[in-house]
Order: sequence, then C-alpha cells, then structure tokens
Amino acid sequence: MSATLTGLRAWLVQRVSAVFMLLFIVFLLAHFLFDRPRSYFAWRDWMLGPWVSIAAMIFFAALIVHAWVGLRDVVLDYVHPVAARVFVLALLGLGVTAVGVWVFRILLLQRA
Amino acid sequence: MKFSIFRFDPDKDRKPYMQDYEIELESTDRMLLDVILRIKMQDDSLSIRKSCREGICGSDAININGRNGLACVTSVSNLKEPVVLRPLPSFPVIRDLVVDMTQFFKQYHSIRPYVVDDEPMPEKERLQSPEDREKLDGLYECILCACCSSQCPSYWWNPDKFVGPAGLIQAYRFIIDSRDRATKERLDDLNDVYRLFRCRTIMNCTEVCPKGLVPSRAIEMIRLMLVKDSL
Repeated sequence: MSATLTGLRAWLVQRVSAVFMLLFIVFLLAHFLFDRPRSYFAWRDWMLGPWVSIAAMIFFAALIVHAWVGLRDVVLDYVHPVAARVFVLALLGLGVTAVGVWVFRILLLQRA
Repeated sequence: MKFSIFRFDPDKDRKPYMQDYEIELESTDRMLLDVILRIKMQDDSLSIRKSCREGICGSDAININGRNGLACVTSVSNLKEPVVLRPLPSFPVIRDLVVDMTQFFKQYHSIRPYVVDDEPMPEKERLQSPEDREKLDGLYECILCACCSSQCPSYWWNPDKFVGPAGLIQAYRFIIDSRDRATKERLDDLNDVYRLFRCRTIMNCTEVCPKGLVPSRAIEMIRLMLVKDSL
C-alpha cells in the first residue's frame, strides 16, 4: 500500500476521500432528519437498497484509505528510528486492514 | 523596558538560561534591533547576528515573544513586557541568539535555486515578457531569513527531509519562471512522501513572514501543478 500511495497520490486520495465522506455524512444526516426510518427493519431495508449500500461501501473504503494516509503521516512525523517506524506502521496497517475486513464482513453478512 | 533573553555559550554554560535585562528606552529606539544593540553595549557577551538593519539581509531573525520575526523591522512600542527573545525554534544554537542555518541552506540548495537552461546562450540575454515577470512577484522577495521554516512544525519534525516553506517558495519561484527549462524535473523532485507533502497547511509560515509573503500559497500552487501534470 505504502509503495504506491505516496506523494501526490496519497494527498489526492486523502482529499477525494474526505469530500466523499463529507457528502455521504451530510446525506445520512439529512435522511435521518427529514425522512426518519420508522423501525429497525425500515432502516435496514433502506440501507440494503442498491444505491445506499454501494455508497456505504465506498464510504467505508474511503474512510479506511483516509485513515491509513492520515495515521501514516503522523508516524512519519513523530516516529523516526527505522525499526520503531516499521513496527508501528505494520501495527497500524494490520489494525486498519482488520477494521476494513470487519466492516465489509458486516456489510456483506447483512446482505445474506 | 524589561527583557528576558536566551543565553547560551557552549564554552562556558552547561545549559541555556534566560537572562533579565532592564533598559530605559530613548527617543531614538524605534526598532527592537536598536534596543538589542544598546543592551549589547551594557553586556558585550550577548551575541546576535545582524547586518543591514533594515529588513533586507534577513540575518537578525529571532523569536520575539514566541513569534519569529526580524528584530530590525519589529517596532519596540508594540511589544508586551517582558520581551522574551529566543533563537529561532528548532535550529541548533551556536551561541545566544545565533543559530546554525546549515540544514536550512542545504534544503534551499536542494531545489536548485537558479534558472536551468541547457539551450545555447542567446547573444544578449534570456528575455521575459512583463506578464511572465509579474508571476515572480510575491516570490522573489524572499530573503531566506528562515522565520517561516523555523516556525513550521512539519519542518521541526523532518528538517532533513522536508524542504520547508522557505525552500518551497523558492522552488515555486523557479518552477514558474518562463526562462527555466527544468519545470518537469523540479516537479518530479518534489513529488515524494517528504519533500513537499509533509506540509499539512498549518500556515505558520504565512503568519510570520516578515516580508508579508505567502509560502502556503506557493506550496498550494505546486500541488495544483502536480495534479494537472498527473491527470
């Protein structure tokens, strides 16, 4: 991931993912404010609709990539010894990947 | 007027300390540098770097009440007492208010601060239209005093890898110079994890620049050029 996601590309991905997340959060808030689902099942059906579920998946993908770029930036700033950096980055990568897998597992299991 | 000045002489002191000074202002004391020089007459062990004393050479950049600036263009009448003077943050101290700028100039040289053009020399000079010349306004005025880089947290953490605001405003000055032929190489050189992209748009650089320049805007323009270049 870090081999290709550096410099301009990382910066662009960070901006684009941020814009997408902002739009999706505003959309969610607007939905819950103006067209509140009546029950859990109504909410679930709404979430499983093709547009919303695809947007939600993109949202979480954007969140994970965004988190990776941002956290890696923090590590590059503060963690200087190479061994410590490799360790912390590996730990972060593992954590972010685990969260990603977990989210998609939930999203896909909901589907079944 | 009360002063608290950072003192450190590596030959004598084991640790830096703050020394208090008190001095009556005279009617001729307009700028901070005037007062510092009179303090130096009281105590000639105090070291400071200065040269032109009018904001052109950039050698008397220090940290004044927590904010980087040039002592020679900082009016004493606006300063809160006690005036706390420290060397530029994060730069290695040589003595008192004098810092080692080696790393800073290394970054400056790394952006190749000169017009690169391998084409044959024209008979007279390389011409530039007035419009192209105007693009250098707000960039060429940089005097490399290091106020910006020394106040930049990203530069504090990676002074050896991040070019810093001073180097980047200079880089942009050559990137958009119509006479330069190395624009692509210059952009490629900045496109890695560190050299340009450690900038987190904190904008301390723009806040403190004693010449009123906007390094953060130059950085933004380089990013936009990189984006245009890659899409």
